[in-house]
Amino acid sequence: MSTAERSTTRPGSTPNRRSRQNFETWSWFFMRISGLILFFLALIHFSLTHIFHDVTTTTVSFVAKRWANPFWRVFDWLLLALGLLHGTNGLRFIMDDYVRNPRKRAAVKAFMYVLAVALFVLGTITIVTFKGNLAG
Amino acid sequence: MSPESTLYKGKTGQWAFVLHRVTGFLVLMFLLLHIVDVSMLSFPRIYNEIHALYGNVLMRLFEVGLLFGLVYHALNGLRVIMIDFFPGSIKNEKSVFYSIFSLTILLTIIGGFIILRPFFTGSVH
Repeated sequence: MSTAERSTTRPGSTPNRRSRQNFETWSWFFMRISGLILFFLALIHFSLTHIFHDVTTTTVSFVAKRWANPFWRVFDWLLLALGLLHGTNGLRFIMDDYVRNPRKRAAVKAFMYVLAVALFVLGTITIVTFKGNLAG
Repeated sequence: MSPESTLYKGKTGQWAFVLHRVTGFLVLMFLLLHIVDVSMLSFPRIYNEIHALYGNVLMRLFEVGLLFGLVYHALNGLRVIMIDFFPGSIKNEKSVFYSIFSLTILLTIIGGFIILRPFFTGSVH
């Protein structure tokens, strides 16, 4: 192995930085694409549950009727998944900007990721296991 | 943060960015709350009680705020996508920001009227 080759594998050297740039490029691209999809998902969802129906009428039976159609389960699950990913990634930018202490930043991010994963699991279980009991 | 570390010089782009960040954060906070309240579907009585609470005037005002945040973040996001993917497509940055902001206010007023109306008329459509 030549000196030049060995130097490229040192921690913090070029390959390491390149992979990070690559991740941030995908993150940038993901924010634009998911944002564009969420534009429709979020605004349609809000309109349905606050504008075209009053919020007090969005009872369990309202959800049961809506989720009887798998389309709306998929719609709501996509909104859940993309919303959480887009939101958590956005929060990651905010943490990078305002939490300057590396240890605090790692702790805050770890808490945030655990919370996001937990809520993703909770939300997915809610959408998948809902039986559509029309009572109530 | 040192003054050299920022690209923004206090023009409309900076306010668009600040508002995008604040509305994004608030919408995410609502999403987290919303996942928990919807998980109560397994307990229909609790779920319906929570959703009756959303009809309270304070919660309705909060929903109007959510509408503002959501619409602004969505429209400004489109502006960001245009700037990133089609450089040069936005000629007058300032007027685009003012248009987005005006449209957000307009939609918030229309939506806000519909959201708040049942509280004053007492009837739900």
